[in-house]
Amino acid sequence: MKLRTAIAVAAVVGGAIATYLTVVHYAHLSPICTSGGCEKVQQSSYAKAGGIPVAVLGLVAYLGVLLTTAVRGVPAALAGAVISLTGVAFSGYLLWAQLARIHAICQWCVGNDIVIAIVAMLCVTRVLTEPEA
Amino acid sequence: MLVGVQRNRLLLVAAAVGAAAVVAVVLIVVSGSGSSSPATTATTTAAAPSSSLAGIPQHGSTLGQASAPATLVVYEDPQCPFCRSWNVSTLPTVVSQFVRTGKIKLEYRGVVIIGPDSVRGLRAIYAAGKQNKLWNLADALYAHQGAENSGWITNEVILAAARDAHADGKAILADMGSSAVTAELREAQKQATADQLQGTPTFIIERPPALAQPLAVSALDPATFDAALTAALQ
Repeated sequence: MKLRTAIAVAAVVGGAIATYLTVVHYAHLSPICTSGGCEKVQQSSYAKAGGIPVAVLGLVAYLGVLLTTAVRGVPAALAGAVISLTGVAFSGYLLWAQLARIHAICQWCVGNDIVIAIVAMLCVTRVLTEPEA
Repeated sequence: MLVGVQRNRLLLVAAAVGAAAVVAVVLIVVSGSGSSSPATTATTTAAAPSSSLAGIPQHGSTLGQASAPATLVVYEDPQCPFCRSWNVSTLPTVVSQFVRTGKIKLEYRGVVIIGPDSVRGLRAIYAAGKQNKLWNLADALYAHQGAENSGWITNEVILAAARDAHADGKAILADMGSSAVTAELREAQKQATADQLQGTPTFIIERPPALAQPLAVSALDPATFDAALTAALQ
């Protein structure tokens, strides 16, 4: 129960970041940014995947992880792990894009990278320790 | 039995990693497709360069009146899509509000950020500086900007950009390999190192006797940039 709670809390934090970036995207606002690169990253083609803002994909992913914490059992734990590990892989790619292609860093993206890594570690731990339903 | 359960769980984790990798690869394929261009500006279609530079004095890499009390140093890479975006959308406003009015002059510093094609582009741009057409050619090259390091800066593109910039294209091609151009490239790179350049475009305000300061801008659109420049000049 404690592990599922920890995952849920981390997913809410990540979801809050994704929600903020989603609102900024659709409201055509500049994100609050101390790194100076958020606008560049937000306006780059990497900010969308298949026409969908990556912030929206992140929000959906965190909601998915959150839902898995409401259900006991290995299948739910496995679903959370797949979602969060996908998030880690895609976030890693976006971090590379920021450093190597866009030449700008978005602090919100880096914050998300940290949160999704934590969520993934917790989800993997859950898969390994979840009692059989 | 417990060992068997643990092994099964590890297999599940491995399967999760595999599934995540597959989904991530699909997402990567449908995302940026290797382009860092702003969605609204990526193009390989030639467009007419801005005419906002008409009538403004140029000397080498400097645009504007020599007596202007402040200099805005502009670090750019001709392959950088955000430099292109700034040139197309914001430079005309900066020129009309700050350069034409004598408040500032602009100094171009071309640096290699993206790769080999940047070197060729910068050589053409600095060669145009010998004709006092540097800013025009930089602007014209942005109108032809292609995919990064795709070999898009061909002689034909340089000649076409030179035509758009009303510069002598053959002279530019001849001067690209000159020692003077090489020296200017090295000097710009040296200045970039001294200014601890992190990327392009980067802007530095020089207003002697004050120390040069980076211009902090949260966005490259005309309104945000003009506000930041106005504040920096006060």
